[in-house]
Amino acid sequence: MDLTAPTIILTLVWGVAIGCVYILLATGLNIIFGVMKLVNFAHGQLLMISAFLTWTISVSLGLNAYLAIIISMIIVALLGIVVERFTFRRVLGTDKLNEIFVSLGLIYIFENVAMLIWGASSKQVTSPFYGMSVSLPGFSITYDRVIAVFVVVAALATFGLLLWKTKIGLAMRATSQRNTTATLMGINVQRVYMFTFAIGAALAAVAGGLYGVIYPFDYQVGALPTIIAFAIIIMGGLGSIKGAIIGGLLYGITEQMATLFLGGTWGSAVAFTLLIVVLIIRPNGIFGEKED
Amino acid sequence: MRLKQTLNTFLHSRSFLFIIVFFAITAFIPLLLRDNFFLTVMTLITIFSIYAASWNFLANSGQGSLGHAVFLGVGGFASAIIGSSISKAAVNFLGTSQMPVGGLSAIILIVALLLGGLLSAGVGLLIGLACIRLKAWYLAMVTFGFSVIAATLSSQFDSITQGINGYTTTTLVTKGYPFYLLVVLFALTSISVMYFIMNSRIGLALRAIHGNETEAKMIGVNTTKYKLLAFVISTFFAGLSGGLYTYFIRLIDNSIFSPANSFLPLIMSVIGGLGTVPGPIIGSIFFVSIQQISTLPSVVDSLNGALGPYFPSVSNVGPPLSLLTIGIILIIIVIFAPKGLISIFHKIYKYLMSEQKNNKETKPK
Repeated sequence: MDLTAPTIILTLVWGVAIGCVYILLATGLNIIFGVMKLVNFAHGQLLMISAFLTWTISVSLGLNAYLAIIISMIIVALLGIVVERFTFRRVLGTDKLNEIFVSLGLIYIFENVAMLIWGASSKQVTSPFYGMSVSLPGFSITYDRVIAVFVVVAALATFGLLLWKTKIGLAMRATSQRNTTATLMGINVQRVYMFTFAIGAALAAVAGGLYGVIYPFDYQVGALPTIIAFAIIIMGGLGSIKGAIIGGLLYGITEQMATLFLGGTWGSAVAFTLLIVVLIIRPNGIFGEKED
Repeated sequence: MRLKQTLNTFLHSRSFLFIIVFFAITAFIPLLLRDNFFLTVMTLITIFSIYAASWNFLANSGQGSLGHAVFLGVGGFASAIIGSSISKAAVNFLGTSQMPVGGLSAIILIVALLLGGLLSAGVGLLIGLACIRLKAWYLAMVTFGFSVIAATLSSQFDSITQGINGYTTTTLVTKGYPFYLLVVLFALTSISVMYFIMNSRIGLALRAIHGNETEAKMIGVNTTKYKLLAFVISTFFAGLSGGLYTYFIRLIDNSIFSPANSFLPLIMSVIGGLGTVPGPIIGSIFFVSIQQISTLPSVVDSLNGALGPYFPSVSNVGPPLSLLTIGIILIIIVIFAPKGLISIFHKIYKYLMSEQKNNKETKPK
């Protein structure tokens, strides 16, 4: 193992890049949880679907991979609306376990539809900057990872503007505080839910497109990122976007460092140990509310 | 005294009769239909009935685990390794060159399975302690996290588990019908025991915790103790089913800790009927049947012939199609019949009964 300063810096930068992808996924999951009080365990499958869509669009239409991500984002947002309308809306407010069951059903549906359409072999989106990298003294990093960081920052900034500066954002924040009161204030809560789910799905889609550019993926790629995103929002605090950003960076760096120091198989195990320790000490997350 | 009374009522109850009759029939059906495929399906159904019932038992106390594969795997690895070492020791002790397949090896297998279950329960106790304050999705996440950690540990200690290439079990009971009988015997005992506990005072306490933990605590239920107890009992039987599963397919590797294996008992219980005794059994029949039928050569050929041209990137459309079907059915059941297939059966039964009654009443004298 070569533990020189450049290796460690490179690992840090990689951690930031992959952390950024997780941040997007976690923010999507987080906004859905904050507004709807719903954990969509099938969130990572939206990432997977988006990665495949980006691949298909960039291959069949010959589009630039980053433009393909935008198209895929719109498709996945529409898919999110359909999913919310026909599944989660029916079980919202019933037993919490029902939401987990529906998510599992969705995981089975998404994964196997993806396998039927795209097959079991792994794919990777070819980026226009393939093979190009920024050279810095001691190490070099691919353009794609640098672009990923900028895309994530742009997506989060847009999302922040939407949430804090628009009327629908105000409605989302009101609903997240108390949905009955929001209804009394004349907010159409059902529509807010639908919109929120679409936004969450769109963020997952951007994450999926970036993931597909950076890493090879197959139809089973969604499971672990969901769990990681959940771990991140728990560590950072449910409903807190700042927390998700800090948690995402922490997670990405921890994972890459654990891989560097302990070997490849330890990456996710160490991260989960962190999650479990946090939850044992604080059963509702670091910034979670006290149980009622 | 109270225990004796409960046991007495239990032994005379209709549900116990149902379990006995059901497994008696299950044990003898393969004798009539001498078919290897059928026997495989029946064995898998019976093994997964125990696994699903163990998950269902835990869910009955309000704790939904998403990491039950940990216990399936721990039970599987432990019983495989223990079974091999005991039989090696026995071979040395007896001075024979090979392990005779007979009464002694059946006892060795049963001991190995029980020890595997106990070890799994031990792990269950530790994980249960870690999870005791967690609820709903937090619990789901953490139990899921443990399954990721288990897979990592198993590959890290590969010299013991041999989980990367797979650990081959020693054959202790002849495969086929003899092994199937053993599985049925284990299923009968396990499900009866779980049913008995669910209907005893412990079960009452667990249901109270499920209903409202704070209120249960208020009326004097030691919630921590009972929740842990539920974890230990459930993981014991999950480990047992893991051992049976391992000895049935004769190979265990790290993929046993996969999320799909953790979701399995949950899907079976929900499809069959959450919180009921026949629910997991019905779910297991349903799930295993769909999955196994999709592997039959004739079905595979006709499916590929009909749908293959539409999905050129898949060589065999059977497995993804069967899992897709299960996913759709799961969602439909959660939305339209949250109490599972069993509630539909109940409705049909009631409807038929009332129909009969009406016919009798409206008949002219």
